[in-house]
Amino acid sequence: MTEIWALVGTVQQWTFEWVVGPFLFAIGEAIYLEEAFNALEGVIVGLFALIVIYLVVRPLEIWRPVERWADQRAVRTDVIYTMINHLGVVPLALFILLDPLERQFHALLDDFGMVPWTLDQTFPALQAWPVATMVIYVFVFDFFEYWRHRFQHRLTWWWSLHALHHSQTQMTLWTDTRNHLLDDVIRHVWLVTVALLVGAPPASYLLVVVLIMAVESLSHANVRLSFGSIGDRLVVSPLFHRVHHAVEQSGARWGCNFAVLFPVWDILFRTARYDRGYLPTGIMPDGEPDYGDGFWRQQVVGVVRLAKALVGRAPPSPTADAVRDAR
Amino acid sequence: MPRLVPALVGLALLLSTALVPADARAGSGNVVIVLNSGEDTISILDQTTMTEVARVPAGREPHHLMPTPDGRELIIANARSNDMIFVDPRKGGEIRRLRGIADPYQIGFSPDGKWFVSNSLRLDRVDVYDAQTYERVARFRGLSTPSHMSFSADSRYVFVSLQDSGELAAIDLTTKEVAWKVAVGPGAAGVLTTEDDRFVYVGIMGSDYVSVVDWRERKVVDRIRTGRGAHNVFLIPGDKRNVLVSNRLSSNVSIVDTETRQVVRQIPVPGGPDCLVFNADGSQIWVTGRWSHKVYVVDMRTFQVLRSIPVGRSPHGIYLHVDPTS
Ligand SMILES: [Zn+2]
Ligand SMILES: [Zn+2]
Repeated sequence: MTEIWALVGTVQQWTFEWVVGPFLFAIGEAIYLEEAFNALEGVIVGLFALIVIYLVVRPLEIWRPVERWADQRAVRTDVIYTMINHLGVVPLALFILLDPLERQFHALLDDFGMVPWTLDQTFPALQAWPVATMVIYVFVFDFFEYWRHRFQHRLTWWWSLHALHHSQTQMTLWTDTRNHLLDDVIRHVWLVTVALLVGAPPASYLLVVVLIMAVESLSHANVRLSFGSIGDRLVVSPLFHRVHHAVEQSGARWGCNFAVLFPVWDILFRTARYDRGYLPTGIMPDGEPDYGDGFWRQQVVGVVRLAKALVGRAPPSPTADAVRDAR
Repeated sequence: MPRLVPALVGLALLLSTALVPADARAGSGNVVIVLNSGEDTISILDQTTMTEVARVPAGREPHHLMPTPDGRELIIANARSNDMIFVDPRKGGEIRRLRGIADPYQIGFSPDGKWFVSNSLRLDRVDVYDAQTYERVARFRGLSTPSHMSFSADSRYVFVSLQDSGELAAIDLTTKEVAWKVAVGPGAAGVLTTEDDRFVYVGIMGSDYVSVVDWRERKVVDRIRTGRGAHNVFLIPGDKRNVLVSNRLSSNVSIVDTETRQVVRQIPVPGGPDCLVFNADGSQIWVTGRWSHKVYVVDMRTFQVLRSIPVGRSPHGIYLHVDPTS
């Protein structure tokens, strides 16, 4: 691990001193040296994750695909989503857009005497076990991610955005990042809020970020793979998440397997299903068949769908009331 | 769920009573303490062997540190976890924590020891505390990204650089008002009041110079070109004439003559030099390299890098302990 960290550090330093720093200076923006340096780390970690994912998950897709498609144009769109997410475009845009607001919000809280805390600062003994600390943070954040996902399906307006993610009928390792940009904004705000409640996780997180990205990509991969009856209850597998994406589950009656990393939340809140197989993915055509093909078209269509939902003219989320019916 | 909650509460109580050992495993020699702002840890280095002897957890984003006026404690300011850790300056072990200090990015005590000032870079404010009790006595809002600070010799003013607005602000500590602001340059960073108390030097990180402010006249009287990403300015112990300037993008440290306002020497220090400290006899500087994750020990007689010591990510604040008994 230390060697990988060192490698990331070296690449980061080199790129910064020879490319990013001089560029910022040349365009007169050198006051953002530190922000750029930190952002660069995210890009390098993302690139690193991308390589790991491609080398590990892609062979699985070739080895045991669930589906084969003659035309893979739809897959290429998802590749774009993955690139702009993992290589920093979306994170950087979110940072520039939302960091000033976050700062103002923190300042406002502080004016009311509410100074955010962190879990491990409050319980210093935790710091003796950095791995355990990290695991706790990952669990806590995954819990909130489960509930965000539940709401994405439950609230009609939110579903109007999340539907884009589910509209993919050629689900692959690239589909994980296929989300509407507005949905990315909401996710960012959600995570910042969670961080406010429980504290931001420690900064030394390389392995964790790469692992999470890998699990999320793997769970969308076009591969016949389950972790076994016990494994599928411990970590979200391709089978487990494929059931969440199944066309039959998207209909007006279903909705299950919302967990992102750990199915324990689905088990606890009774939304887990282990009785289905490798099913086709997508959304039932219930009056809104067009989700757009191609990145920009999908973004536009998503905004239109959201507008309709907000004025109450969209079909309700296919999964509203579904959880109860599912049992 | 019902059984999970009491279990978690029990675990929490258990953890809160167990304490981090008071002394980190430092070597026998005097220590150098480095804040790894990018990985939330503290590196403890041995001055003699010039190696890292321990790396211990800090709060979120520790950036700057300084001893208390009595020299008995060293304050480590954790910007993102809104707290300060007081450690033993000889060994680095934790003594106590102070919570609820909003975003202490840079901290300082007035020379008379009365006031403790904390700059909140992220929250656009400067807080003034009673230095004895750490009770807040004043808060200055609307100061854009306050970065570094220095005081007038009579402790009346604290000079604060405002990074994003490129200004230097003077806060009157007696009336608790912002007395004035003056434009100094893009990305105003390090601030230093000269030995004679006449000028304030401000590193201009967004460019390649140091602005010289005549603070009584409230105006910039000179600009000294030192290097790209000019960042922080330091006194040289026992030398009333020269100061040091770290340049983060051109990766060097400039020796600046404050009488002629000329750069008299450029010392190459790789890796984006930021904060630096002198050793006891003034023969070395220890410099943090923000981009390279290293601390560089530079011989100030030969101006050569004697040693580069790998530390944690984005090392920023650095403190070198001088034991008065040795
Ligand atoms: Zn979903
Ligand atoms: Zn999905």
